[in-house]
Amino acid sequence: MPGNARRSIGVRAPILFISAIAWMMLLVNPGSMIALIHCPVTTSWASPMSFKMLVEMNPLSSLAEGWALMLVAMMAPTLTAPVRYILERSFKRRRARSVALFFIGYGAVWMVAGAVLLSTELLLSLLAPRSLLPAIMVGVVAFVWQCAPAKQRCLNRGHNHYALAAFGLDADLDVFRFGMKHGVWCVGSCWALMLFPMLLPVGHFAGMAAVTFQVVSERLEQPRPPDWRLRGPVKLVRILVQQARMGIQGTITGSAVLPTALNPRR
Amino acid sequence: MATYTRNNAWNNGGTFDNHDLLWYAKGVAAMMALPLDNPNSWWFFAAIHGEEIALTAFPGWGFLPSPPAVPTTPLPAQNVKTTYWNQCQHQSWYFPPWHRGYLIALESEIRAAVIKAGGPATWALPYWNYFGPNNQYQIPPAFTVRTLPDGTPNPLFVTARYGPNSDGNIFIPIPPVSQACMNNDLYTGTDAATPRPGFGGPKTGFSHGGRTSGNLESNPHNQVHVDVGGNAPTGSDYGLMSDPGIAALDPIFYIHHANIDRMWAAWNAAGHANPTDPKWLNGPAASGGRKFIMPMAVGAAFPNPWVYTPSDVNSLSKLNYTYDNLVPAVKATPAANLLTQRLTRLGAALAAPAPAGVPMDSGDNSELVGAHQGALSITSSGARATVKLDGVVRKKVAASLTAASVAHPPDHAYLQLENVRGTQDAHKLSVYINEHLAGTVGLFGLRTASLQDGPHGGEGLTFELDITPIIDALHLANGLDVDSLDVRIVPNHAIAAGTSLTVGRVSIYRQSF
Repeated sequence: MPGNARRSIGVRAPILFISAIAWMMLLVNPGSMIALIHCPVTTSWASPMSFKMLVEMNPLSSLAEGWALMLVAMMAPTLTAPVRYILERSFKRRRARSVALFFIGYGAVWMVAGAVLLSTELLLSLLAPRSLLPAIMVGVVAFVWQCAPAKQRCLNRGHNHYALAAFGLDADLDVFRFGMKHGVWCVGSCWALMLFPMLLPVGHFAGMAAVTFQVVSERLEQPRPPDWRLRGPVKLVRILVQQARMGIQGTITGSAVLPTALNPRR
Repeated sequence: MATYTRNNAWNNGGTFDNHDLLWYAKGVAAMMALPLDNPNSWWFFAAIHGEEIALTAFPGWGFLPSPPAVPTTPLPAQNVKTTYWNQCQHQSWYFPPWHRGYLIALESEIRAAVIKAGGPATWALPYWNYFGPNNQYQIPPAFTVRTLPDGTPNPLFVTARYGPNSDGNIFIPIPPVSQACMNNDLYTGTDAATPRPGFGGPKTGFSHGGRTSGNLESNPHNQVHVDVGGNAPTGSDYGLMSDPGIAALDPIFYIHHANIDRMWAAWNAAGHANPTDPKWLNGPAASGGRKFIMPMAVGAAFPNPWVYTPSDVNSLSKLNYTYDNLVPAVKATPAANLLTQRLTRLGAALAAPAPAGVPMDSGDNSELVGAHQGALSITSSGARATVKLDGVVRKKVAASLTAASVAHPPDHAYLQLENVRGTQDAHKLSVYINEHLAGTVGLFGLRTASLQDGPHGGEGLTFELDITPIIDALHLANGLDVDSLDVRIVPNHAIAAGTSLTVGRVSIYRQSF
C-alpha cells in the first residue's frame, strides 16, 4: 500500500500519546520504577542478608511494573513503522487485535530481557551499592556495543517487515511472531543502552530521556552495511535543526511551515 | 531560447552520423580514462547512482564482463564515498528530480570533454525515445558496434547487455512497456486518471531503493532497465542495466534516463503540476536525510559541488534546458471524462457528466479485500495463487460499484505483490486475474531490496497493479460474487538454478472515495 494509505492510518499521534502518559507516570511517581530502593543493609557488602533485603524492598511485581512502564515510555515511539505496516495489511475489523498481538509478542521478548537486565542491576547494586562504578562499566560496554557491527545488524533486521497472513489463526500467529522477531532485534540493539540509566545512582530520568533520544534517532536512520562506527543521534538532531530552521524561516516569511513528521521509515 | 537542447538519439539513423552520439562516445571515453577516485570519472559517476565494488562475486564490479573494464581501485576517502555514492532515488517522489540533477552533472562532464576535443559548446545528451515511430523501439545502432568511425574501440558498446530475449538483440517490447503514465494528472496521489501512487512516486524521505515505484518509474523506467540488461544466455548473470548497483556503468543508462526526464518535462508541458509540498521542494535534506550532491565539471554553469533540491530542478527553463520534442505522444483524457465513462460502463444513471475541475488527490481510504495465504515461490513456469476474498469487504466493493454516481465514485481496486524478494533483478512478471492480464512489472532493484543489510532491511519490493477495469468487468458479468480469485504470475524468463524469487503475499485492496 503506497504513501497515501500509509498517511491515512493515523499511528504516530496515539503512540506518542501513550508514550507521553508513561513518561508522566514515571515523572510523577518514580519510586522503585526506575531505580532500586536501598537501605543501610543493602548498601553494605553483598551478602545473603543484603540480597534478601534488596529483594524485599524491591518486590518482583514492582520491578516488573517499573520495567514495563519504562518500555512503554522509551520504546513506543520506535514502533510506529511496524504498527502502521500491520494496520495496512490487516482487515479493518482485525486491526486492533493484530496490533495487540504484535505488542504482546514484542513485550514478551522485552520482559524476558528485562529479567536478565534487572538481575544484572540487582547484582551490581549489591556489589557496588550507590556507586557510579557499575554505570561507568556498563557505559563502556554500551559504548563499544554502540560502535559494533553487530549492533548495526540488529538495527537493520529491525527494518525488515514480514508477509502477514490475512485470515484466521495464521494471521494471529504471524503478527505475534512479527512482534517477537521485532522484539529480539530491538533487544539486541538496545540492551546495553537500557541497562545504563538503570545503574545510575542519580539522574535516572535524564539518563532514560537521553537513551530514548538515541534509540528513536537510530530507528529513523536507514539500514546500512555493518561496520565499526560511532552511532550517535545524528538523524534526530538533523531533523530538529532543520525543523527549527524552517520554523524560523516560516516566521520570518509569514508562511506556515508545518513540522516535518518524524517518519521512522526513513 | 534554452542554451541546451536534447535531441533524439535516433536522428541520422542512430548511428555515429548523429554527432550527438559521436561526441557522447568521445566524452565517455575521456571519462573512462580517469581513475575511480576522480569525481569526474565515469566510474565515480556510476557509483553516485549505486555501486557494488566490495562484492566478491557478480555483480561485484571486479566480476563484470569487459568491456568496459571496470576498476575497483583506487577508492576515494570514506567521507567522499559517504557524501556522493549510492544516492539514486527510487520508489520515491524524488525519483524524477534526483535523476534530472544527475543527468545535468554527467552532461557537464561529457560536455567539458567534448569542448576540450573541439566539439560544440552546447552539446547535450541525446535521448532514446523507444516509443518513437518505425524502429526506434530498438537500441540506436551506435551502441552496438565495436568501433568508432576512426577505428578506435567504441566506449558505448558493453558486453553485458543482453536484451529481453537474452540473445543480445536489444529492443523494448511495446507493450507491455507503455507510456500510460502520461494519462496521469497527479504527481503524487490518486484520482480517476491517476492510479496509486501517482505519476512521480510516493511521498518518502531519502529513498535509495524502497517499496513501491511511482507510475513513471514503474513503467516505462523499470521495465526498460530489465529489458535492456536482460539475462545472460548462459547462466545466472545479467546485464548491467538490470541492477541499480551496476546500471550506470552502461552508457545507454543516461540516454534512457534522458527519455524518462523528457517524459516528465512533457507531462509538465501538458499542464500537469509538480508538488508544492515543502517536503518535496526542499528535498530530503530538509527533513534530516541526505542531500543531493553532484560533482560538476570545471566551467559548468553550476557550482562544484552542486547541492540541489527538487525546487532547483522542477522546471527545465530554470536550468536553461529543453528537448526537441515535448509533445506527449498520448493525449490524456481528463479525470472527469474517465469517471463519466466508467460510470456509464457500470450502468449508473447520469443526469450530467462528471464536472471537470483541478486534479485533486482523492486521499486514500484503503482496505484489504482478500489475500493469498502463504508465500509463493516463482519458478520458470510461474506460480498460481488463490486470493481468498473476505465476504464482508467484497460486498462493500460490489455495493460501491452498484450504487456508483458522480457524488459517490466507485471503488478502485489494486492487486499487490508484497514482500517480493529475490537474487536477480532481470525479470519481468506478468500477472493475470482469472486469466485477464492485470499488468506487468519489472524487478529492477529487487536484489538490493532483498539484502538484509540493504537500504530496506531485506523487506523486498512491493508492486501494485490497478485492477479496477478487471473488477468492473467481473462485477458486470456477475463474476464478483465469489469466495476467491485466481491469480497467475508468469516470469518472462526462465528462473535460473541457484536463484530465488518469492512473493510474500498476493493481496487485493479496495480504495473507496
